[in-house]
Amino acid sequence: MHQISKLAYYFVIVLIILSINFSLPRAMPGDALSYLTDPGADIPVRMTEEKREILLAYYGLDKPLSEQYITYMVGIIRGDLGWSIYYSAPVLEVILGRLKWTLILVGTSTAIYITLGILLGATSAWARGRKRDMGLLISIISISSFPSFFLGILLAIIFGIKLDIFPISGAQTAFATYSSPLEEIFDILHHLVLPAATLVLSHIGGTYFLMRNSMLGVLGEDYIMTARAKGLSERYILHKHALTNALLPIVTMTAMTVGFMIMGTIFVETVFAYPGIGNLLYNAVSYNDYPLLQGIFLFLTIAIVGANFIADMIYIRLDPRVNHE
Amino acid sequence: MIEGRKILGSIGLGILTIFVIVAVFAPYIAPHDPHQMYRPMEHPSSSHLLGTNDIGNDILSEIVYGTRVSLFIAFVVSVISMLVGTSLGLVAGYFDKVGFLIMRVVDVVLTIPRLPLIIVIASFIRPSIWNLIALFLIFGWTMPARIIRSEVLTLRRRYYIDATKMIGGSDFYILWRHILPNVIPLVVVQFIMEAIHVILAESGLCFLGLGDPVAMSWGMVFHYAFECPIIYVSDVWMWWMLPPGLCIVFTVLGLTFVGYALEETFNPKLKNPFGGMER
Amino acid sequence: MTLLRISDLKTQFPTPDGIVRAVDTIDLSIGERETLGLIGETGCGKTVLGLTLMRLLQSSTKTEGTIIYKGTNLLKISEAEMRRIRGEEIAMILQNPTTSLNPVMRVGGQIAEAIRLHQGLSKRDAKEKAIEMLDAVRIPSPSIRVNEYPHEFSGGMKQRVMIAMGLACNPSLIIADEPTKGLDVTIKSQIMKLLKEVTEERAMLIITHDLGVARELCDRIALMYAGELVEYATTGEIFEDPLHPYTRGFLGSLPSNGLVPIPGMSPSLINLPDGCRFHPRCGHATELCRRKHPDMIEIEDGHFVRCFHA
Ligand SMILES: Nc1ncnc2c1ncn2[C@@H]1O[C@H](COP(=O)(O)OP(=O)(O)OP(=O)(O)O)[C@@H](O)[C@H]1O
Ligand code: SF4
Ligand SMILES: [Mg+2]
Repeated sequence: MHQISKLAYYFVIVLIILSINFSLPRAMPGDALSYLTDPGADIPVRMTEEKREILLAYYGLDKPLSEQYITYMVGIIRGDLGWSIYYSAPVLEVILGRLKWTLILVGTSTAIYITLGILLGATSAWARGRKRDMGLLISIISISSFPSFFLGILLAIIFGIKLDIFPISGAQTAFATYSSPLEEIFDILHHLVLPAATLVLSHIGGTYFLMRNSMLGVLGEDYIMTARAKGLSERYILHKHALTNALLPIVTMTAMTVGFMIMGTIFVETVFAYPGIGNLLYNAVSYNDYPLLQGIFLFLTIAIVGANFIADMIYIRLDPRVNHE
Repeated sequence: MIEGRKILGSIGLGILTIFVIVAVFAPYIAPHDPHQMYRPMEHPSSSHLLGTNDIGNDILSEIVYGTRVSLFIAFVVSVISMLVGTSLGLVAGYFDKVGFLIMRVVDVVLTIPRLPLIIVIASFIRPSIWNLIALFLIFGWTMPARIIRSEVLTLRRRYYIDATKMIGGSDFYILWRHILPNVIPLVVVQFIMEAIHVILAESGLCFLGLGDPVAMSWGMVFHYAFECPIIYVSDVWMWWMLPPGLCIVFTVLGLTFVGYALEETFNPKLKNPFGGMER
Repeated sequence: MTLLRISDLKTQFPTPDGIVRAVDTIDLSIGERETLGLIGETGCGKTVLGLTLMRLLQSSTKTEGTIIYKGTNLLKISEAEMRRIRGEEIAMILQNPTTSLNPVMRVGGQIAEAIRLHQGLSKRDAKEKAIEMLDAVRIPSPSIRVNEYPHEFSGGMKQRVMIAMGLACNPSLIIADEPTKGLDVTIKSQIMKLLKEVTEERAMLIITHDLGVARELCDRIALMYAGELVEYATTGEIFEDPLHPYTRGFLGSLPSNGLVPIPGMSPSLINLPDGCRFHPRCGHATELCRRKHPDMIEIEDGHFVRCFHA
């Protein structure tokens, strides 16, 4: 029951997002699409008559709104997100072409920052109020105060330019030919270090604080005292009793922070000219490529909402109490 | 621990006070008119402590005035968000039917990722600080509304609120006299969280080129520095990029410290490591 | 034979508001297979005394005195040695079973972990033993319930699980903190029956506000007031010949005696009254009581009282 109502809820959310996406270009006070209908308006970059026709047909502005909406929905279901003005290609194709890099970046960073955040948070809580806790706390508060783009630029300047140990742009060396797949992998990892480090550092605070608070709460619980009364060692109690209980609320919240991380790619990929979707969004903004922009908006938003959905489902599975009710 | 809280809180308050003073007295503090053009790309000197930018504006003066813009946006958004959010939260916590509706709206708005939506909307409309403020307000009220409501629900269960009702206090009177004072600490913490969020989000939008080009905030100064092709050549970044960046960092840090100190003070459950024991 | 002898035991918590003297100069002993009841109003330090014996209080706590268990001073041994004592030699059943069981661990696992630790049994054998323990505390169909989570048990059943957990390693001493609190009458009498059986084979320290429970289960009773003992005698003596005004007041507040509560409130353990700690509430208080702090004296053989006018 619980799971079905959650499913329905997320379905409604996706519908709402799709509708927002539909109404944005049509409801904006600015003349976002005026160049399509008004022959006198400035035509954006690289806009030929032929492309204008394609866009006009895509938005279907001459038809009644309800028909536009239906056409739009059907298009979405069939994977038609429109035509990118700047790249002169279907939006979906452009996005999918970049997807690989964003997945690599978000995937590695997420794995690292969740593990690290949980470990540091648990360590901090276990050492509550002592030097180690305060040191971690203040370092992480300080790092979290940096906007991710600023942190990225600082890392690029220090490790890329001053020390010159990591590349600061792209996902691979341009025009490189590799003698072995291993070499290629190494090159990709080499390029991944700084963007991934930036993402990890600027997002670790979320998981760290969740874990620390959750763990502090759990350590004060009576069942931890019960475990001590059985003569179990501190290490055993930490692993068997405290961690499992403290991790439960973390699961949901962590998926939310994965959402933040996906948003973080917009800045980090821009700083490091990393050819993923975040960087694509930056280009779309700079070139006023509205169809592409909207396509990316849909894509990112649904990815983030999807992460939240998965988290909710995991939570329902993990907590025996939820299952029971 | 208690000492640590006080120290951090005072440091935070100190940092914030300095920035507020700079914002309020910007015309007296800035060495030059930020719109005045001098020789472009000057290195720091006694007449331009942080040099000049690509069109010859004095960078230090831009940053001093930028303090006004950045803090203004954060302050206006946070104040309005708290007013709206608190009122809706109080109402939602006190009147069940309306509350249910408001909370469904809150759920939806909170589930939709805010940054991507703000970015798309900002790309469609002409960015100005008022438009930015309006955009942030769409989301700002939700979290305080949710948190205040759940607190009100807890408070309502306490006997004295029912007791007042029995002797004929009106709903409004009860909200005003009994519930509001109890939720103020939460509102203050939420205010700080929202201000942090807005400072960071605004600078992010500027970084992507979606800031108000007329009102130079710290983020805009940073944006133009990043766009400058020779920013990494020589040490230009050190006086053009680092200072506005650090202003953002220190403001956020100051707010975080104050927020942390307040939260530790208001939330005694976190204070006692044996809080779970029944005694 | 004396199993446990506590002398001069003090437990103090430094807090921002001052030092909480939760346990103040307590002398007690428990013989083998003896059941001792510790009784007092809420907040007088009963739980803290229990936790002190187990050395389970946070490290900032100040503890003085001696706790001699089977010839060793528990306050002098290392933490590792103390861990061997906990659960295996002395078990403690904490108050409030609902919060004292780990909500995300099967009850079987929670009973078995102590067995595996102290007796080195395999996972499977320990589980068998856990089923046996559940059976011993009269939980129906134990082989099914062993795999269930605490929230699937009722309050009384949870208390049985707590008792099973305490019994698991067959300790010589069990400290049971409020084992009957919050249970309705029928369940309470079942749990008392169970505890009665438990007391036959080992020594127990039963902490309770409930004189009925103490009368039923205990050989001797110690009354605690504001961190110190005020009267200490056999159960029979306490009920037939209570000497301390506080004890008499406590007996008077029993339902059978008309539920007359002791007037006033127990003092804060940070600002204790001068002289006899009970004097602000005592009907027999004299000038002496207000000035001088009475010592515990042995009025009759084995009957101790802390009162000038007993
Ligand atoms: N960790 C601690 N830090 C500071 N004070 C404490 C701590 N633990 C207990 N106290 C104080 O010590 C006093 C005795 O507490 P204790 O829990 O032993 O009372 P109790 O006799 O068990 O009461 P109850 O019958 O309600 O369980 C209380 O005033 C309590 O506030
Ligand atoms: S010493 Fe005095 S005050 Fe204390 S209990 Fe005895 S008679 Fe009462
Ligand atoms: Mg107690």
